Amino acid sequence: MGDQLGRGEEFVKKAEKKLNGWGLFGSKYEDAADLFDKAANCFKLAKSWDKAGSTYVKMVNCYLKSESKHEAAQAYINAAQCYKKTATKEAISCFQQAVNLFCDIGRLSMAARYYKEIAELYESEQNIEQAMDYFEKAADFFQNEDVSSSANQCKLKVAQFAAQIEQYQKAIAIYEEIAQKSLTNNLLKYGVKGHLLNAGICQLCKSDVVAITNALERYQDLDPTFSGTREYRLLADIASAIDEEDVTKFTEVVKEFDSMTPLDSWKTTLLLRVKDRLKAKELEEDDLT
Amino acid sequence: MSEVFDGYERHYCELSANLTRSCASAGVLIGEQKKQKLSEIQAGLDDADALIRKMDLEARSLQPSIKAALLAKLREYKKDLSNLKTDVKRLTSTDPYQDAGRDELLESGSADTMVSAADQKGRLLMSTERLNQSTERIKESKRTVLETEELGVSILQDLHQQRQSLLHAHSTLHEADDNISRSKRLLTTMSRRMNRNKIIIWSVIGVLVIAILLVLYFKLIH
Repeated sequence: MGDQLGRGEEFVKKAEKKLNGWGLFGSKYEDAADLFDKAANCFKLAKSWDKAGSTYVKMVNCYLKSESKHEAAQAYINAAQCYKKTATKEAISCFQQAVNLFCDIGRLSMAARYYKEIAELYESEQNIEQAMDYFEKAADFFQNEDVSSSANQCKLKVAQFAAQIEQYQKAIAIYEEIAQKSLTNNLLKYGVKGHLLNAGICQLCKSDVVAITNALERYQDLDPTFSGTREYRLLADIASAIDEEDVTKFTEVVKEFDSMTPLDSWKTTLLLRVKDRLKAKELEEDDLT
Repeated sequence: MSEVFDGYERHYCELSANLTRSCASAGVLIGEQKKQKLSEIQAGLDDADALIRKMDLEARSLQPSIKAALLAKLREYKKDLSNLKTDVKRLTSTDPYQDAGRDELLESGSADTMVSAADQKGRLLMSTERLNQSTERIKESKRTVLETEELGVSILQDLHQQRQSLLHAHSTLHEADDNISRSKRLLTTMSRRMNRNKIIIWSVIGVLVIAILLVLYFKLIH
C-alpha cells in the first residue's frame, strides 16, 4: 500500500520537527513518540519491516530521554519483532537491549521470556552454542522467578543442544534432574520415562559400559515402573548389543522400537553415532585379528 | 403321585413321536393334503402343550428331591416341543415353488461342500491369513495407543505450564490490588494536602487584601 508508506513518512517528519523544535510544557518527547508510533504502524501495514523497526528505535530514544524505561523496553520489543521478519541480527540486538532495560526495571520474568526468544532465533539460525547459552540464561531467570515449567522447558532445550555438540555429561545431568523433579508432580510423572530414555541414550553415546548399567539401575530406583516399559528394554538391549559388539542385533532392536513409536530426528542422530562407533569398534577388532 | 407324572410323560412321548413322523411326511406332501396334515399336526401340538403344562404342575407339587430331576426332564421336553413348532412353522411358510428351487440350490451346495471339505490345505491357509491380518490390526492399534499416550503426556505438560501461569497471574493480581489501594491512599493524602494548600493560599490572599484595604482606608482617612 503506497499511501501507507507516504503517511508513515509524513508522521516521521512531523515527529522529527517536534523533536528539533522547542517543546512547550516539556511534553515534546511523548508527543514525538506518539507520532513515531503512528508512523511505525503505517509502515507495518505497508509491510516495510525495516522502516517500522527503525522508527521504533527512534521511539526508544524519545522514551529514554523522558525517563520511562518501561515504554522504552516495550518499544525495543516492537522493533525486535519487526526485525524478526527480515534481519535476525538486528532483531537479536534489539531484544538484547530490551532485556537489559527489563533487568534494570526489575521485570525479570519478561527478561527471561525475551532471552528465550533470542535463543529461539539463534536456534533457527543453527547457531547451537549461542542458542544453548541463551536458553541457559533464560532457564536461570525463570528459576529465579519460580516459574519452574518454563525453566524445565528451557533446560530441556539446553540438554538437547548439549547432546548434539557432544557435551553428554551436561545433558545427562539435566535429564536426570528433570526426571527427578517430575516424579512428584502428578501432571508430569507420565513424561518421566521419556526423560529417562533421553538420559539413557546420552549415556550410550558416552559409551562407558559400566556407567550405563549403573545408570539403568539408578533409573530403576528412581522410578519403579521404568523397568516394565519398552524404553527400558530398548536401553538394556542396546547396552547388551554394545557389550557383544553385535551391530545386527543393535539394528534389530532399534528397528523394533521404531516400528512401534517412530524415533524423532534427535534420537536418530544420537543412535546413529552409537551405531557408527560400534561399527568402528567392530572393524577395529577385525583389523587386530 | 409321580405315577400321574409318569403317565403324562408316556403320553407326551407318544404324541411327540407321532408329530415328528407327521412333520416328515407333511414335508413331501403338497396342496390340500399338506394343509390337512398340517392342521392335524397343529392339533397334536396343542395337546402336547397342555400335557407339558400338567406335568409342570405335577412336578412342582412333588418333593424337592424328585422335583429337580423331573423339572430337568420337563425342560428337555419343552425344548423338543419348541423344535417341533419351528418345524411346523417352516412347513406352513414354505412356498411350493420355493421347494423346487431350494432343492436345486441345496443339491448343488452339498456338492460344493463336498469339494471344499477335501480342500483342507486351502482352509488352513485362509485361517493363517486371517490370523496374520488380526495380528497386524492389533499392532496397528497398539501403535495408535502409544501415539495417544504421547499426546496425553504433552497435553499434561501444557496443562502444567498453564497452571503455573494462572497461579502467577493470580499472585500478580493480588499485588496489583495492594498497589491500587496504596495509590488510592496516596491520592487521598495528596488531595487533602492540595485542599489544605488552597485554603492557606486563599486565607493568605484574604489577609493581604484586608491589609491593603486597611492601609488604603487609613491613608484616605488621614
